[in-house]
Amino acid sequence: MTDLTVTNLTVKAGRTTLVEGAGFSLVPGELVALLGPNGAGKTSLLRAALGLEKRDAGTATLNGDDCARLSPMERARRVAYLPQQRPLAWPNAVRDVVALGRYAYGAAPGRLSQPDADAVDRAMETCDLAALAHRSADTLSGGELARVHCARAFAAEAPLLVADEPVAALDPRHQFRIMDIIQSYVARGGGALVVLHDISLAARYASRLIWMKDGCIVADGPPTETLTAERLAEIYGVRARVHGTLVHIEGAA
Amino acid sequence: MKPAVWLLPALVAASLLALFAACLLGSTPMSPERVLAAFFGAGDAGDRLVIWQIRLPRALAAYMVGASLGISGAALQGLLRNPLAEPGVLGVSATASLAATFSLYYGLVALSPWILPLSAILGALAATGLITLAAIRTRSVVTLILIGVGLSSFAGAAMSLLMNLAPNPFSLADMINWMLGSVANRSFREIGLAAPFILVGAAILLASRRGLSALTLGEEAASGVGLNLRTQRILTVLGAGLATGGSVALAGAIGFVGIVAPHVIRPFVGHDPARSLVPSALFAGLILVLADIGVRIIPTSNELKLGVVAALIGAPAFVWIAIQRRTGND
Repeated sequence: MTDLTVTNLTVKAGRTTLVEGAGFSLVPGELVALLGPNGAGKTSLLRAALGLEKRDAGTATLNGDDCARLSPMERARRVAYLPQQRPLAWPNAVRDVVALGRYAYGAAPGRLSQPDADAVDRAMETCDLAALAHRSADTLSGGELARVHCARAFAAEAPLLVADEPVAALDPRHQFRIMDIIQSYVARGGGALVVLHDISLAARYASRLIWMKDGCIVADGPPTETLTAERLAEIYGVRARVHGTLVHIEGAA
Repeated sequence: MKPAVWLLPALVAASLLALFAACLLGSTPMSPERVLAAFFGAGDAGDRLVIWQIRLPRALAAYMVGASLGISGAALQGLLRNPLAEPGVLGVSATASLAATFSLYYGLVALSPWILPLSAILGALAATGLITLAAIRTRSVVTLILIGVGLSSFAGAAMSLLMNLAPNPFSLADMINWMLGSVANRSFREIGLAAPFILVGAAILLASRRGLSALTLGEEAASGVGLNLRTQRILTVLGAGLATGGSVALAGAIGFVGIVAPHVIRPFVGHDPARSLVPSALFAGLILVLADIGVRIIPTSNELKLGVVAALIGAPAFVWIAIQRRTGND
């Protein structure tokens, strides 16, 4: 079983500390939401955890192997990463973009082995993209494009998924669709760590919430335990009412 | 759009035809039979001399120069994720040709025949390396192109300085050749000196082309899917530097072919940078052979320079491609 384990992780940029002493773990079968205000250090934490950014202290391991020392391909086979910025340089066909998710297996668009092609088809199926397979990516709507990026990440069929704001700038229906897709991935045995800004969405889907503020993880646990009005005031500076996993934000505190 | 299966065979056939045509046409037109006879060592000695010493090496030089610029352009465009990247625009050709002129001017070329290609390649690598260092610092491709403009201007100014100081009209004419770009009077010997660098550069670019597809996703996601960014940058820069340097050693600075060819090819290969390399190389080679035929048969008092003709066609195409681009992804 693949696990991502981070302990005492510290990331600095110059003299600013972006992440300080953060620790968490991610295993298959759970959907974890990483919450926190803008600038809390969520993206830095994820990147350093995956070995994409230099860490200044602490450890980050995938199955016990140091993430920073794994080859990019070996890492990509263990964890799929969906970054916050998702530019597409060329107007490729949707299926070719999804096929890039198989890079770590030696595949390239137009040169897919049978297992690669099958994985791409399954990912397209999961994200409901079959009808768009040959469409040019620059003609898609924001919601469709978000599904393409999800499919690209799923095509790797890695046991873990780390997604940085996968539902940013999507309408409510598409937010639910993307979260449903991620949930079905977890139901099939995957483990997902997802950065979200919508607390209700996080409480509804996640089995665990990790709360971050000013570079530190301040709480980590199931929504029923960690989602409280006090925590929302502490982390986000908002007045809110919480009933179980229902959240009603009334305004800035 | 499905990549077209006929693309490569068609380009290969057209390239062979163009090379053959380049042997047919010229100041003394020769019939296909005479050309074929000369090819296989028959026919009269004069014909064999024209074909083997003059027309064929010149056509092959044009083709190799075009092909190396085409493959370098396609690879740099994939690396920088921008259709306007090209050895000429990025100042690589100009820097390489400055380095070559420099070695000519100071007579370093007398030391060894390899000095000229090597200095062109050093110039090309210095420029590509600088551009890539800048590419790590800034994400804006406009900045990179501006750096290229700066490099080109500097190399141009330094060339002018060398010309100003040229000791005699002969070396002046030599430098002008270098600056404007031409494949006139090239021999198999000169081709042989540039070819190893061009071939190694092209081989490096081909071997590392898969990473260019991954870069379509942007650098962050490309490393996420398993691309080693550092290695990819080094290989593409090295490959493009070797191929461009080799082409400059052979023909001087010839611009814009590296933009036009990949731009035309891209829709036929599903806009995939990796799959655009080979067709772009073949197409750019084809363009330059045709342009060189034009240069030779257009009746002008002084023969036109290939580089001038390439720029006359290529520069408007560059402007057109720039205007077509939707702003946003830089």
